[in-house]
Order: sequence, then C-alpha cells, then structure tokens
Amino acid sequence: MIKFKAHKKLSSSTGPSQLDVAFELEQGKLLTIYGSSGAGKTTILRIIAGLTRAESGYVEANNEAWFNSAKNINLPAAKRSVGLVFQDFALFPNLTIRENLEFALQKGDDKKLLDELLELMELQQLQHMKPGILSGGQKQRVALARAIVRKPAILLLDEPLSALDDAMRYKLQDMIIKVHRNYKLTTILVSHHLPEIYRLSDEVICLEKGLIQKQGKPSVVFTEQKISGKFKVTGEIIEIIPADIVFIVSVLCANEIIKVVATASEVKELRTGQKVMVASKAFNPVIIKLGDS
Amino acid sequence: MNTIPGKIFHIITEDNISLVKVKAGDIIFTSIVLDTPGTSPYLSNGNSVSVNFKETEVIIAKTWPLEISVQNRVQCVIKNITHGKILCQVDLVAGEFNIQSVITNNACQQLNLNAGDKVVALIKTNEVSLSYND
Repeated sequence: MIKFKAHKKLSSSTGPSQLDVAFELEQGKLLTIYGSSGAGKTTILRIIAGLTRAESGYVEANNEAWFNSAKNINLPAAKRSVGLVFQDFALFPNLTIRENLEFALQKGDDKKLLDELLELMELQQLQHMKPGILSGGQKQRVALARAIVRKPAILLLDEPLSALDDAMRYKLQDMIIKVHRNYKLTTILVSHHLPEIYRLSDEVICLEKGLIQKQGKPSVVFTEQKISGKFKVTGEIIEIIPADIVFIVSVLCANEIIKVVATASEVKELRTGQKVMVASKAFNPVIIKLGDS
Repeated sequence: MNTIPGKIFHIITEDNISLVKVKAGDIIFTSIVLDTPGTSPYLSNGNSVSVNFKETEVIIAKTWPLEISVQNRVQCVIKNITHGKILCQVDLVAGEFNIQSVITNNACQQLNLNAGDKVVALIKTNEVSLSYND
C-alpha cells in the first residue's frame, strides 16, 4: 500500500497554484495521473521519488515512512525503493545494455532477475550492444528493465511512451502490462493518451491545477456520456473489416468476441486496440437456454 | 448511430419501465427505457437528452403509413443514396436534422428510391435509446 499526501506550491506557465493531493494505492495496482501540463503530475512523482520536497504531507510505501513533515522524516532519494522511467531514456551511452542494467543493481543483489528481464523484454540479442544503435522503443525497453531490476516498491513512469510511434507504443504497453503483473509491481503512470490509460490502469486520477477533479476506474472517469441501454459491455477493438458499404467491428469483451456493424463515418473514429463500449437496448437480445438445466 | 438532440417533455412510468417522449425541433420521438425518474434523475421533463438509434434500424416508407405499430415516424427528404452490392446507405434530411438509414439494395430498388424523394423514416420505440451528460 502506498499512502500519499502532499501540499506544495506549484509554479507553471499558467501562474502559481497549490498542489493539494492525497491518495492511497493498493499493492499490485496501476494508477494513472492524467491532466494538462502544469497540473502537478510530475511533481507528485518527484515527491514520491524524493527529488522534490513537499511543504507538508507524507509518503508511505508498504508501512515504511519515506517522508513525513510532521515527524520530520525525509529519506534521501537513494534510500527509497523506486524505479523511474522518463520520456528520455537516460541510459549510459558507454555501457552495454547489460552493463546498464547491472549498474542499477547493488552489491549482493540477485542477478537472476536481470536475465529474466532481458528475456521478458526481448533484449537478449541486444544485451552486449551499446544504447547508441538502438531504436527509441528498444531504448525505452532497456530503461524499463533497468527501473525494475531491483524490484522497486513503486515504479514511476512519467510519459514513458509519448515519444514512440503507435505500433511501438502498443508493444511497450504490452511489456508494461507483462512486467507489472509478473513482478506484482505497484505503478504510478503519468499519461495523456486515453487508449493507453484504458489499457493499463486500474485507477485514474484527473488532476487540474494541483487538485484531484475525478478519481476512479477509467471507464467511469472518462465516460461522460451515459446511455440508457441496458446491454452494455466494454472491450477492445481487435479488428475492423469492410463489409459492402458498412464495416464489421470485432470487439474482445472478456473472452468473447462481439461483432458490431458500424457505418463508414463511425469507423473513422475507431481503430484497433481502442477501448470501446458496446451498447444495445434490453429489448433486442434474445435468451437461449444452454444445456438441460 | 443516429444521434439527435432534444428535450424530454412527457414521461409515463409503470414498474421499472418508462415511456419517454422527446421533442427535437418539430419532431417527436418516443423511447421506451428500463429506467424510472426515481432511479435515473436524467428522466425529467425539460431535460436535454440525445435520441439514439442505429442506421440499420431505420425503416423507409414512401407514403405515410396510416395503420402500422411503429411509433416514430419522421418526414424526410432523401439527400443522397450510396449503393453497395447488397446494402445501401440512404442519407435523409428531416428539418434541421440528418438521419441515416442502411437498407438492402433490393428494398431500395423495390421502392424506387431516388435523391429528392419525400419519404417517412420509421423507428420502433424499443430501438430508440437515450443518452445524457452529467
């Protein structure tokens, strides 16, 4: 469990404001902080990592106090079990991929995880190369592996994928999901990208001028429009194929694939990988008995 | 999906079902929903909602159908028809609103539909859903 509460003056291009945020995050969950620039998203990550000090509040990770203004506790950044990934990869150019990961380890740390991560992130073939020749997506995989190699109590991702193209972004999202589940990480992500937030997050905080405006599951926070239909499922588009003058959109909902007919103008706003809600009225579906019950 | 903004002006509720009438310009839409004003505060006279129905659920008639159970009848003019091999999309204009209908080419030919024709768009009450903003 992560417990966070902070009060701090913010200064941004839109003028000064106050960060006043409190939240708790259960172990193993992924929380996304969403909001316009200057809202205080990165400041929250920096306070957790110990790179910025809040005027008041506390940061607690798994019952360990990292910061507590009332008790005058302020653990230095190096003593906080945090993995950090930023948009720029910040790899050591003169070290190989493997050495970059080894550098993050401390004496006595288990190297088993390092090999496991190289495999999981599909970096084995590249491990003896230097970062200079890698693509953006590959570099970000190295940065992610490096952030996880010490099994941090919190993984902090600050717009890690925003410099990547869509295909690479999608692949890296898969990797984040994989490592997040495999290593039961507790992760806080800063992202602007709605499909990404839907795919990755258990919970979202919408931050505006330092204050939480909305908090909850992405499907609740971002579904402004309510529809009266009682037959509603959410899922991810896995395929859009033309059929005469209309299109057939296949949506994966839980383990079932649902097919929905959509017009050309509707399909313009849809793409594979997107999270969608499929709605119909309670009057349309038919019920068919299964087996002999 | 066809989406037409309007205002609720009449609600009848029985058990968990409500029959809701919505006025959009000069057009009156009727929708049946499994919500009640008690459980769903959006169901209130004067509230802005959108009336939604799928293109494939819009029936087209050439003459005003006098004896038919379909409650939503909208007088339209055909603006354009796009033909596929099996289906066609009929773009309709009803006052200030656009409505699309997807029907079979066979149906389109049988009715001899052409741009400029005056037609009636028919939508069953239980095909119309309502959406609203918080």
